[in-house]
Amino acid sequence: MKKVLILLSLVLLIGCMKDDDILSPIDNVVEVPESLVIGDLQGIKVESTIVTNEVKMNIKLPYTGTYRVKIRDISKQLISQEKLEASEGDNILKVYVSSLQNDGYTLELTDDNHDIIGITSIVVNN
Amino acid sequence: MKKILLLLVSVLCTISTYGQTDSQLAYSRVNTVTKVGDTLVVKLQYFEGKDADDVATAPTLYQFDFQYNNKLLNKIKTTWQPTSTSAQKAINSWNGYKFSIDSDKNQTDFDGQYASWLAGDASYTTNSDWSVERVTYQDVTALETGQEFVKYEFIIKDKANSNYSDYTNLLNANWANYKLSDGTQLGVTGNSTLSLSNIEGGDAGNVTLNILTNIIDSNIGDGTHFTYKIYNKSDIGSGNQPNQGATIVAEGTYDASGQATVTGLENDVEYFVWNWVDQSKDYMDNVVTVSDLALVFKEAIGAGSTPNGTSTTFDYYIQTFLANIYHDQAFDGKIDFSDSYEILAYLQGVTSDNTTYISKKGEAYQTGGNESTFGTVDNNGSYFAGIDATFKPTDSNKSFNFVHALMGDVNFSHSWEPDTEGTTIPASTQANASVARMSMAAGEKYQGEQANLDLTSELKDGQVIFTIGSEVQEMIGAQFNIVYDKTRLSLDDVIFDTGNTMTNFSNHIEEEGKINIGSFDQNFEATVKTGTPYKLIFVPTVQLQNTSGLITFKVNEGVKADGTQIKFIME
Repeated sequence: MKKVLILLSLVLLIGCMKDDDILSPIDNVVEVPESLVIGDLQGIKVESTIVTNEVKMNIKLPYTGTYRVKIRDISKQLISQEKLEASEGDNILKVYVSSLQNDGYTLELTDDNHDIIGITSIVVNN
Repeated sequence: MKKILLLLVSVLCTISTYGQTDSQLAYSRVNTVTKVGDTLVVKLQYFEGKDADDVATAPTLYQFDFQYNNKLLNKIKTTWQPTSTSAQKAINSWNGYKFSIDSDKNQTDFDGQYASWLAGDASYTTNSDWSVERVTYQDVTALETGQEFVKYEFIIKDKANSNYSDYTNLLNANWANYKLSDGTQLGVTGNSTLSLSNIEGGDAGNVTLNILTNIIDSNIGDGTHFTYKIYNKSDIGSGNQPNQGATIVAEGTYDASGQATVTGLENDVEYFVWNWVDQSKDYMDNVVTVSDLALVFKEAIGAGSTPNGTSTTFDYYIQTFLANIYHDQAFDGKIDFSDSYEILAYLQGVTSDNTTYISKKGEAYQTGGNESTFGTVDNNGSYFAGIDATFKPTDSNKSFNFVHALMGDVNFSHSWEPDTEGTTIPASTQANASVARMSMAAGEKYQGEQANLDLTSELKDGQVIFTIGSEVQEMIGAQFNIVYDKTRLSLDDVIFDTGNTMTNFSNHIEEEGKINIGSFDQNFEATVKTGTPYKLIFVPTVQLQNTSGLITFKVNEGVKADGTQIKFIME
């Protein structure tokens, strides 16, 4: 009888909670513009290859954690690096290029251990 | 018996022709010519022959043809030399013909070639490079032997405008027709050609200049950032500066590879070239860094450590020139604390009241010279011998390598490191210099070492934090030139955690969104602390989602106690 009462209490408790509280986030629900949709499970994509001032980018991640977005010049030398916490799935962010010289660059998405997840290129035309 | 008779006839014939010699048509230059534009005077001369009786022949008709190369010679004047009033004289000229000899006869068998020409076995064919002159002289008496017929004057033309590479075949006699008064044809011989050598001057055609610098080799910039101005060497005064009113002979821009093709120069003329890098380039602010500071400080400390004051910590003579950014007197060639503290002040962004020669954006102090002599010193110890950019195009040399260097760039990061003999300082006069570099070859002493570093930006609690993480040991100095997006960020704070004895510096150029930070131990003892020695705090001036691209870094270098540059690698 005691066990039945505990079970009933649990049923009542769950019944009082909001749906959101019990649904685990199986996906990072972000509205992704069509131009930034990444078909694969992970990767990096920019809205436009030729960039003035700033451009939207999507980094699609396999799990929530710490990642790095790196900008490399033509000789693959690292010239800028952001470290960020991001969620599993799509993350719509920006690349700001005002302080970059007009040139071609590669954008590199890595995990915190520098293992590459995706690469794309941009051309800065400020 | 028959054989004996034949032998006798043969001997008699031989005896009867003994002493017979041909007359001569001789031609030679009268004066010395050395360069294009000089006037060449050619004399054509008669020398008598002998007949079978060993008596001088006495022709009364002298006629001959010769040809000259009209692409190399410009005929300007002819002057008859005999003064006889009874003589009949004629000179005929034809342009665009060349004599084709009878190849069965010697070219200098002039009477034979004459006979062949009459018979059609030798002829004139059209050839725009050659002109033919026919000289005819007839008198009642023979000329004295050695008598000149006529003098021709020609201007030496520039072979650059021709298909000829030299002046070895300028003029040939074709045939000669000397006759006695009774019509007897005489044998005539002579020299085969008139040639000149070592003719200088003339259009040098395409002259190639190559500019050598680490700006190109290290892909900091490319050759199009360099221009040249060429002066006549005679217009260059003291300090290799062009004299007032000096005319620029040629100027232009190098191509991306650092090569330029120059026209309008003359062979065998000395020129001087000044090569300039575009001082407006952003990388000019990266020329003088903490690595240069360390080298200059080390030299300032070590200078004069021997009574004769000749010891040095430098590896190349030219480093003294490049490091002497503060002149106590007009180029004193003395590296002391005046130089090192001026560089430190520059890195700290402190404006100096002194005139200094530190290369930076908008203010580059430039030098250079021929690759083969750059960085050498003369017997008097003058550095100017090593920054001489004199060159002289010649027929055999039309390509020249010049190097470029910037004042203050003591470690050659943006300059050319000397790579020829006579540029390195003997180890015997080096005191406290890098033992490692002493054993390295010229041109390879300043390659630097590499080490890993972690530079990242993060958005944290509404601030943009830029951290420099380092696990690099043995650095007595470090420098980071950072550019940030001044339209979105405002610098709030710089946090140093480099150790207690380091001299830290930060030079914030707010209007350009630049900040140079670093550290240096003037005693060459303390090292930059590992961990997070530098942290920059920025406040966003606009709403930000993240920080990608907001902060970039170009110069990231450290320096060891022996002056070795550490080039950081960021993963």
